[in-house]
Amino acid sequence: MKMEEMSLSGLDNSKLEAIAQEIYADLVEDSCLGFCFEVHRAVKCGYFFLDDTDPDSMKDFEIVDQPGLDIFGQVFNQWKSKECVCPNCSRSIAASRFAPHLEKCLGMGRNSSRIANRRIANSNNMNKSESDQEDNDDINDNDWSYGSEKKGLWYLPFQNPNSPRRSKSLKHKNGKWGWSNGNYNNSTGISYETLGPEELRSLLTTQCGVISEHTKKMCTRSLRCPQHTDEQRRTVRIYFLGPSAVLPEVESSLDNDSFDMTDSQALISRLQWDGSSDLSPSDSGSSKTSENQGWGLGTNSSESRKTKKKKSHLSLVGTASSLGSNKKKKPKPPAPPTPSIYDDIN
Amino acid sequence: MNKDAQMRAAINQKLIETGERERLKELLRAKLIECGWKDQLKAHCKEVIKEKGLEHVTVDDLVAEITPKGRGKEYRCGFTMLPRLVLNSQGQAVLLPQPSRLL
Repeated sequence: MKMEEMSLSGLDNSKLEAIAQEIYADLVEDSCLGFCFEVHRAVKCGYFFLDDTDPDSMKDFEIVDQPGLDIFGQVFNQWKSKECVCPNCSRSIAASRFAPHLEKCLGMGRNSSRIANRRIANSNNMNKSESDQEDNDDINDNDWSYGSEKKGLWYLPFQNPNSPRRSKSLKHKNGKWGWSNGNYNNSTGISYETLGPEELRSLLTTQCGVISEHTKKMCTRSLRCPQHTDEQRRTVRIYFLGPSAVLPEVESSLDNDSFDMTDSQALISRLQWDGSSDLSPSDSGSSKTSENQGWGLGTNSSESRKTKKKKSHLSLVGTASSLGSNKKKKPKPPAPPTPSIYDDIN
Repeated sequence: MNKDAQMRAAINQKLIETGERERLKELLRAKLIECGWKDQLKAHCKEVIKEKGLEHVTVDDLVAEITPKGRGKEYRCGFTMLPRLVLNSQGQAVLLPQPSRLL
């Protein structure tokens, strides 16, 4: 009660403020004292100067204030001209190109595996197609040895794609495709605009040459490619070489009209009439046997052998084409050209 | 005079009893660190210690050197960052940071 009376009576601002200031001063003095004790303890325990850096280190990390340098003292374009030595291939590479080079060099980046897979696929294709070409080339060339060149091609997958060897084989590939076409899935063609007349003529003697509607390119398959008819081939040759152009496959005196399904019927009926054994035209099975017998009687033994081999899987069209081709080749010795024809059918 | 002294004593006593003084002390300590008062004092301490020598510093030395500066009443050495206590319009005591004055 006494105190309250006292407090109530003494309440005016100036006095209040004075009292507040005093309390404040007391508190500050207490804080000072406390601080002194802390410092003294730190000094005596030896950890007072621990958070200071020594003057040598201070000099190292001083802020640099020179023109052309940043505050750490580094030059701006320093890393552009520097060259690093690759630990893998021991080449000196520019610093800014170092990381991508290392990725390719070590073969560990995302892209390098993709590129490697593509190269493997390409080299497999190239090897398949070039194995034939090399046979053809090596017969003609005496300059270089066969073994070393082959090794060079296969063991260096990182060869320059523009090297003369590669371009040479590509040119030959296109020219001589006709010999080995049956085994490959051909999706390339030739654009005829870039070829000269001599090249065109040589191409047309070995390849189908029919110009595709979609790609405007010449078909590079063989002369007997099933995608195009002889009529188309003749049209192309007339277009390129003039009206006197002749299809290269015309070697016999027989008629070379396009070979349709209707013709096959006529041929088969003619065969049946040629055959000597008893037949019924409606019976397809017996007609086939009669074909063979007819052929066996009328033609060389080699041809009959071939037809017998094909007996199991010859469709009507197949028989027609084989008959047709056999018919054309009858006057000539059948041995050399016929193997390729049968390859095509296969 | 007596009344004032009495009043002061009474107020102090009341502060201690309610624990308000401790609270105010903590508050002040935080405030002093915030405004940089403590770092200033520390730098001053280092100078004193380097003068006196590390081994021979006593508490009394430190107290004698530092407290006046800490209180902000040592005009010779320049002001410390001691905040001022001001009563605002609503009657509340507010600590304002001291403006730095060049000597």
